[in-house]
Amino acid sequence: MISQVFILSSKGDHLIYKDFRGGAGNDIVSIFYEKVTALTGDQPPVVMNHKDIYFVHIRQGGLYWVATTTAGSSPFTITEFLNRLAALVKDYCGSLSEKSVQMNFALIYELLDEIVDYGYIQTTSSDVLKNFIQTEAVTSRPFSLFDLSNVGLFGAETQQSKVAPSSAATRPIQSSREQGGKSEIFVDVIERMTVVIGSNGLLMKADVEGEIRVKCYMPSCSEMRIGLNEEFSIGKSQLRGYGAAVRVDECSFHQAVRLDEFDSHRILRLCPSQGEQTVMQYQLSDDLPSALPFRLFPTIERDNGGRLLMYMKLRCDLPPKSAAINVCATIPVPKGSVSLSQELSSPDQSAELKPQSRAVVWKIARFAGGTQLSALFKLEVPSLSSASMLEVGPVGLSFELPKITATGLQIRFLRLSPIQPGPSQRWVRYVTHSDSYTIRI
Amino acid sequence: MLCTSMTQQVEQMSSVLRNEDLKEMLESNKESLKLEAMKRIVGLIAKGKSASELFPAVVKNVASKNIELKKLVYVYLVRYAEKQQDLALLSISTFQRALKDPNQFIRASALRVLSSIRVPIIVPIMMLAIKEAAADLSPYVRKTSAHAIQKLYSLDPDQKEQLIEVIEKLLKDKSTLVAGSVVMAFEEVCPDRIDLIHKNYRKLCNLLVDVEEWGQVVIISMLTRYARTQFTSPWTENKAFYDSDSEEKKDQTEAKPYIMDPDHRLLLRNTKPLLQSRNTAVVMAVAQLYWHLAPKHEVSIVTKSLVRLLRSHREVQYIVLQNIATMSIQRKGMFEPFIKSFYVRSTDATHIKTLKLEILTNLANEANISTILREFQTYVKSQDKAFAAATIQAIGRCATNISEVTDTCLNGLVLLLSNRDETVVAESIVVIKKLLQTQPTQHGDIIKHMAKLFDNVTVPMARASILWLMGEYCEKVPKIAPDVLRKMAKTFTAEEDIVKLQTVNLAAKLYLTNSKQTKLLTQYILNLGKYDQNYDIRDRTRFIRQLIVPNEKSGALSKYARRILLAPKPAPGLESAFKDRDRYQLGTLSHSLNLKATGYQELPDWPAVAPDQSVRNVEIVEPCPCVCTESGSESEEESSEDSEKTSSDSGKSSSGSEKSSSESESDQKKKKKTKKAPQKKSKPAGDRYTEIPHCLFPQNDSKKPTFRTSGISLFYMSFQVTTSSFGPLKTYELLHHMTGKGLSAKYHFPRQPCLYQPSMVAVQVILTNSSDHALEEIHIGDQSPASLNIHCFNTIERLEPGASVTVSMGIDFSDSTQAANFQLCTKEDQFSVSIQPAVGELLMASTMTEQDFCKEQGKLQGMNEASATITMATANASRQAINKQVLSVANVGEVPSSQNNFSRFAGQTVSSRALVLVSLELSESSGALLTINTEKSVMASMLLQDLKQALAQA
Repeated sequence: MISQVFILSSKGDHLIYKDFRGGAGNDIVSIFYEKVTALTGDQPPVVMNHKDIYFVHIRQGGLYWVATTTAGSSPFTITEFLNRLAALVKDYCGSLSEKSVQMNFALIYELLDEIVDYGYIQTTSSDVLKNFIQTEAVTSRPFSLFDLSNVGLFGAETQQSKVAPSSAATRPIQSSREQGGKSEIFVDVIERMTVVIGSNGLLMKADVEGEIRVKCYMPSCSEMRIGLNEEFSIGKSQLRGYGAAVRVDECSFHQAVRLDEFDSHRILRLCPSQGEQTVMQYQLSDDLPSALPFRLFPTIERDNGGRLLMYMKLRCDLPPKSAAINVCATIPVPKGSVSLSQELSSPDQSAELKPQSRAVVWKIARFAGGTQLSALFKLEVPSLSSASMLEVGPVGLSFELPKITATGLQIRFLRLSPIQPGPSQRWVRYVTHSDSYTIRI
Repeated sequence: MLCTSMTQQVEQMSSVLRNEDLKEMLESNKESLKLEAMKRIVGLIAKGKSASELFPAVVKNVASKNIELKKLVYVYLVRYAEKQQDLALLSISTFQRALKDPNQFIRASALRVLSSIRVPIIVPIMMLAIKEAAADLSPYVRKTSAHAIQKLYSLDPDQKEQLIEVIEKLLKDKSTLVAGSVVMAFEEVCPDRIDLIHKNYRKLCNLLVDVEEWGQVVIISMLTRYARTQFTSPWTENKAFYDSDSEEKKDQTEAKPYIMDPDHRLLLRNTKPLLQSRNTAVVMAVAQLYWHLAPKHEVSIVTKSLVRLLRSHREVQYIVLQNIATMSIQRKGMFEPFIKSFYVRSTDATHIKTLKLEILTNLANEANISTILREFQTYVKSQDKAFAAATIQAIGRCATNISEVTDTCLNGLVLLLSNRDETVVAESIVVIKKLLQTQPTQHGDIIKHMAKLFDNVTVPMARASILWLMGEYCEKVPKIAPDVLRKMAKTFTAEEDIVKLQTVNLAAKLYLTNSKQTKLLTQYILNLGKYDQNYDIRDRTRFIRQLIVPNEKSGALSKYARRILLAPKPAPGLESAFKDRDRYQLGTLSHSLNLKATGYQELPDWPAVAPDQSVRNVEIVEPCPCVCTESGSESEEESSEDSEKTSSDSGKSSSGSEKSSSESESDQKKKKKTKKAPQKKSKPAGDRYTEIPHCLFPQNDSKKPTFRTSGISLFYMSFQVTTSSFGPLKTYELLHHMTGKGLSAKYHFPRQPCLYQPSMVAVQVILTNSSDHALEEIHIGDQSPASLNIHCFNTIERLEPGASVTVSMGIDFSDSTQAANFQLCTKEDQFSVSIQPAVGELLMASTMTEQDFCKEQGKLQGMNEASATITMATANASRQAINKQVLSVANVGEVPSSQNNFSRFAGQTVSSRALVLVSLELSESSGALLTINTEKSVMASMLLQDLKQALAQA
């Protein structure tokens, strides 16, 4: 049972406030904001109370999504509800930001009105909701040259039209009816890696969590078939033949997915509803099919002048044609490090010392596969002792690998039936993120 | 001052002006302007600003045709109606009209808004609307009426009794859409009326899978509470059994073996598939249900699903980890295989890290401690100091819990003392202090080491800990302790209170053990303490002085000073912060906060003796589905057993494993019977029939056998399906005894709801052995088409020559007249047979009023109507004759008619529950107009043919 729902900006501005059961004080929003900001740490607890009022909040899109509740309901219900609400708002408004929420208050209010009745959640299914929602979303799409670049000279289609801009998937689902039914479907295969490499260079733990996400703008899509790699297997027992099997440990599907062709042909059948949904989630632990994307070879010593020398050699083991982007290594350094001098092997890297987090941050914008980069960091640390040498490490790495999946999962085909009238576009994107990539020193 | 009031005025003015302009827009004729104005008004509401003075202008638009505008007006109305009650009343008639709208969504939305208007005057109107909507044909409207219940209840609690009646009615509803909402209303209005649930318990369990997710959460939590009051505890205490030496006790424990109530099992079985739900709230609800209700060895099924939740949003992660932390204290084994999932990631937020740490500590045992400690070692190095400190605490707890590693941990912690980070050092000291207390022997070295560190440590808690250690073990470090005291005497005034207190303690202890060296120092410190600003310290100083320094006044107490101050002290237990959280129900707000939330309902404890189980039996009066064999009571027993089994299996999914479990249950029951256990009370009702002699059944009509059907959704809409419709049984031949080599089979349609599955048509087959030898193993073999869903009868082991047996089957024809082909097998032979249903047998009768009939008929016009003019046979002129003819063709129910020349019949198809309405209008001559209204147009035309034939013939 939910008493109120409100959305706050990160600065505490009221964006949306809705009272479902009446009788709440007006200052409730400010009480919440005070409580949140009074606490230190990276995130305040999800559930908080002020006298008899219980706040449950989540953070998404840089906003606070808060619900107040009475004791009767489980915090799971509320967090799940808030997450769904955020997802629905994202679907309906196109993107999730302070601006989009502000522009679409009437729409969000209507959504809230349909989702919750007198504090009870009625439905969060977008299929049901689309029958009721009347308000159109307002979007602000700044004029961008990128849109123009798709059109070649004299209107001829260029090569670039085969690639959609990454912002293409951030538009409201309902606007599709007025834009002349531009029906598109976006399929994302997103994987997140968690890796721990021991100080001896051995892999201690490797986990990949992945999901296939579909964002559908088709007003009437009856069925969609997604073909995965045929050699895809689940669990250890059913390895198919020799060679490059794509294996995951566990796999779960969206309720709407029908699996009658999955066992024989690895085809997922589903009737996507409008908006975004996670069709399949899977995970793989310990046994990665390909080599780790990065290896680090560190050498740490003291020089005669009492400085700390860190020689880092970072190798990217991706296939030569692909590359990692936004690579960032965070190397914790001893307390009291004063200054940093660096020698980097190529000009497109940068490094700086962050005294407040006591770490050296080494950034590489683009890192091609099969290459190696090295860096020498000289740190001025007054009162350097042998104990402080122990404070170096472990190194955390964050990166993005476009067009690569760590498990090797690929989408063979994407078919819609019946064949859509008019132009329909299908987009597939693969990306692997680092969730936590730690190299111990 | 003037300035501020000026600006305020200006602001007010401007807001009035702006609202004027909104008012103008609302009063204009253009829809678009009105819409724009309403959007801006809703914007004001959304930001929490007042827009109440626009009420009159807004309320005029409530009857607008534009749905978008209308909805915005509704939003406004709900928000401000309470403040402008008189004006709000103007809008009521609009809603009353909309409540009669043919479109179900409009009816529902009108009810929703009407019930949200908090104006006491309209309570009677609301009550009426809710009652009407609760009987609406559309499940969506009924769902809305369930939601309206709690709104009316909060507006006027005096209506409680009437509202409970509505709840009771809606609880009986078989629609999955309604189930969740009505349980929500039940939980808010009358959570203590558990008696309303009894009859619906099995139905709710069986519907659960198909209820929408938010409803599932509410139903599961309600059923958890219900089960805790109705079933006995499945947590058998084996201890008593093993401990008891005396024979007597042994007998007692043996005499009462725990047998799970089948309804209890039903709940556990039907919630299990929900662990796969996409909704984390559902998963957690099931997890807590298993935790609180399932036998201990079954709880671990939920582990995997909970661990899966850890991949969800971080807010969800946080609460899941809290719950796992509580669970892992009691049941280590559950989560041990997943220990790697709780390793801390560098990207986790601090509070998630500490929770994971907590769980890892709980899971630590002799086998995995080395891995865990290695993991902890890296955590200590973390940049996040709060987390590093928590890790040190965790190491301390592992060390006390697992004695094998205490020394290793202690050494590791001592190494940490040389860490450059102060919080780490301080935390280590505090933990070492606790550890040393548990193992005081031969740790002089560590204490010496700590004394050396003393000058560099500034954290008060750590300094106090070192001082305490010095005092407590001063005999082990006789040289160092006085020196530390000397240092403290110098800095005493600058120390924190907690350090001062420990200094006084140290001084006292040293005075008692080593007074020669420290007498003066102690006196100096006591003097300092005497004039301290803090009264605690002054009190302590005074007390210590009286206790240790002998003088004439201090009587007997100072003799015992040594025993008082230097008594061996019990070691503190290092306990989990989640130790006491299990007093709250898992997954609740109170558990998450570790604080009793207002309105928290405690989970009731198991009853010692289970309340009467028969209250949950749903009784359906129906003729005996006879299983007539020569062997009397034995077969009777089987049939009751049988029906029970099928009833518990009749839920949606009946996979192999489930079946086997229910079989094992009935096995258990059989065992119990042979044992002749003395307690009759806990016997399932089905068993009782075994004690009634078989011959009672046919004579005693009023005592027709009742069969337990666990909430099979026999009825879809609010129509009652009548089972006792008039039916001259037509018997069809299935297998002739010539082709069947002596086995002959006939079948008829008993026109009863099928016991096995609601979508099946019941068929009774009479098997007769007309050969001269016994036939063995009569059963059903291959079926075609394969998709056809047939519930076979149990294999008949032996049929004597001349004997016959009636068995019942269920066939799901999916509302088509295609034949069901299957093989009837005996031990030696197989015969292909087929059952071709007449279209009229695919229906079941329903009762409805004439009014409802006409209403429904109105909805089924056009394509859904088939009619023909027929010439009636003269014999069929009377109403009785017509009824007889129609009912012989189709299983429909007669609708009482006020007009004489009209005959009406209603039924619905068995599989898809589509209404079939038959009406016959007699004209002057022997002609008549026969009309059939149904969505199933093929059926309509077939039925029309059949009826035409039946009515035309004499």
